[in-house]
Amino acid sequence: MVHPTSSDTVPTHPIRPAPRLSMRTRSALWVWGFLAIPVLFYCVIRFYPTFNAFWLSLTDWDLMSEAEFIGFENYRRMFADPDFWQTFRNTFEYLVFGTPISLLIAFVVAYYLDRVRFAHNFLRALYFMPYITTAAAMAWVWRWFYQPPPTGLINSALGEMGFGQIEFLGSTSNALPAIMVTAIWAGLGFQIIIFMAGLRAIPDTYYEAARIDGLGEWTILRKITLPLLKPTTVFLVVFISIAFLRIFDQVYNMTTNDPGGPLGTTEPLVLMIYQTAFSSYDMGYAAAQTVVLFTILLVVSLLQLWILRDRA
Amino acid sequence: MATISLKNLTKVYGKAEVIHGIDLDIADGEFVVFVGPSGCGKSTTLRMIAGLEAVSGGEIRIGDRVVNELDPKSRNIAMVFQNYAIYPHMTVRENIAIGLYTQNLDKEEKARRVENAAQILGLTDFADRRPAALSGGQRQRVAMGRAMVRDPAAFLFDEPLSNLDAQLRAQMRIEIKALHQRLGSTIAYVTHDQVEAMTMADRIVVMKDGHILQQGRPMDIYANPVDVFTARFIGTPSMNIIPSGLAGGPAAGDGGRPVLLGVRPQDLHVGQAAAAGGLTLAGPVTAVEPLGPETLVHFRVGEETVIGTAPATQIPEVGSEVSARAEDAQLHRFDAETEKALESR
Repeated sequence: MVHPTSSDTVPTHPIRPAPRLSMRTRSALWVWGFLAIPVLFYCVIRFYPTFNAFWLSLTDWDLMSEAEFIGFENYRRMFADPDFWQTFRNTFEYLVFGTPISLLIAFVVAYYLDRVRFAHNFLRALYFMPYITTAAAMAWVWRWFYQPPPTGLINSALGEMGFGQIEFLGSTSNALPAIMVTAIWAGLGFQIIIFMAGLRAIPDTYYEAARIDGLGEWTILRKITLPLLKPTTVFLVVFISIAFLRIFDQVYNMTTNDPGGPLGTTEPLVLMIYQTAFSSYDMGYAAAQTVVLFTILLVVSLLQLWILRDRA
Repeated sequence: MATISLKNLTKVYGKAEVIHGIDLDIADGEFVVFVGPSGCGKSTTLRMIAGLEAVSGGEIRIGDRVVNELDPKSRNIAMVFQNYAIYPHMTVRENIAIGLYTQNLDKEEKARRVENAAQILGLTDFADRRPAALSGGQRQRVAMGRAMVRDPAAFLFDEPLSNLDAQLRAQMRIEIKALHQRLGSTIAYVTHDQVEAMTMADRIVVMKDGHILQQGRPMDIYANPVDVFTARFIGTPSMNIIPSGLAGGPAAGDGGRPVLLGVRPQDLHVGQAAAAGGLTLAGPVTAVEPLGPETLVHFRVGEETVIGTAPATQIPEVGSEVSARAEDAQLHRFDAETEKALESR
């Protein structure tokens, strides 16, 4: 037997030098090592230009000459510009009508689709299809729907049934709702999938217990389903709102002859920014509009999170 | 309160029949526990009584009404689920009150009943909390509160204690039993835990593969199991079942058919010398489990491992030879082919 303390006779294990960094530090280094690329990318490609836009909004930069500081001149000009207020109103019209209508339709479809067993997957795929379709392609299809006959499907059908024709994209009052319908349609697939996932996550026993307690369909929906679906709803409200505040593709593609027309009645903020920047090359002014959009997005999102917060 | 009676009740899923015509009468105020392994049909039976599953054949009566085609809400029963099914967005008080939501009572009466239930269940201090702030046992009590306020004809419990830890389960067993004594209500209770069945039931219904194997008072089932399955299922550790020939007895019983001998570990005393009559088994020890008051000794007899009990202070070495003895009166005899109990001699 070797005495445990006689170290010279016991074959010693090659002992590794104690690491200089603690386990915690080493794992933190690894994590930041991997995160470095996306973080760097985000800083250079996203955050820097964002902050730069704040600066640009205070200049008269027009791509050609050096940017010169002009204080709040761009903002003064913007708030005095009736076109800006028109697009401001338009943007909020998309938001205020588009969000609740989207939410309602998506929920109703998800609620009933969740109960359909027959051709369930096929139906779900069908509803999801618009979401994976290119926005431009879909906008053009809808644009044709809205044309006068014989091209326009809707007006042809109305004519067949003996109703009068409706001017859609050419009318100052109908164009915005017509485009909004397209935008709602485009987003539904995604929202339905999210709502269905939320519905699936509610345990069946909640409903069974409610049935035994004698709660009716409507009460179950109001007292159990909707409250339990709240996290999903909060997410979708914020998500849909941001989408409507940033609406561009549908408007641009459905009004290419006169972007944002007729008479600017469909023009959202993003389209105005696009026109100011890349048609008029008025970068400073466009940056000021961007800052306003940024502020609106921030305020609306925070407001929604605050209103829909969990009061637990 | 009401009676529940099942007549030739069957349940078919597609082509598979899972409940094969069971008959059962639950008396008014009786606490009946359905026990059996997973998939034996006990939960399905309970869910048919509740109206959550359609009845494929036969008849369910609650009180003097046939309820086969009635909605769950019209059956005047209350159910407590394994996952409690209490709503996370409501307070304890609201959760209990939801049981009264559709009842035609004035506000004060509802509030009074909710307070009363909360008080009986010791939930008064938590009445304004959300379920997330409660322990598992408290959540289960909320679920029971919601059932209680309804003052239903019968309570149905579907494995209500399975999500609780062992200590809490033991405590809740007592509470549910006390509640039953206090309310005197008819209870149908489903569990896979035979300890719950033994400790709580007025009557145990042992189920397997969609049949009722045996029903009776807990001690009757424990003392006189009708077959090997029930004998092994009720009581812990499980009853030792060994071929009679292996135990030194006659290999065959009356009529020359092979016999199985059953003996509960508690009746098989390790360390006792062989004596006339009874059963004596001997073999090498494979494992010992000191439980404190006694020690379980696993030892091999031929191909079988047998469990016997030794006094707490006498813990045999693993590998040593032991002998164990059981009185003749403690032996159970089963037909080896049908596994049915034979008439005791």
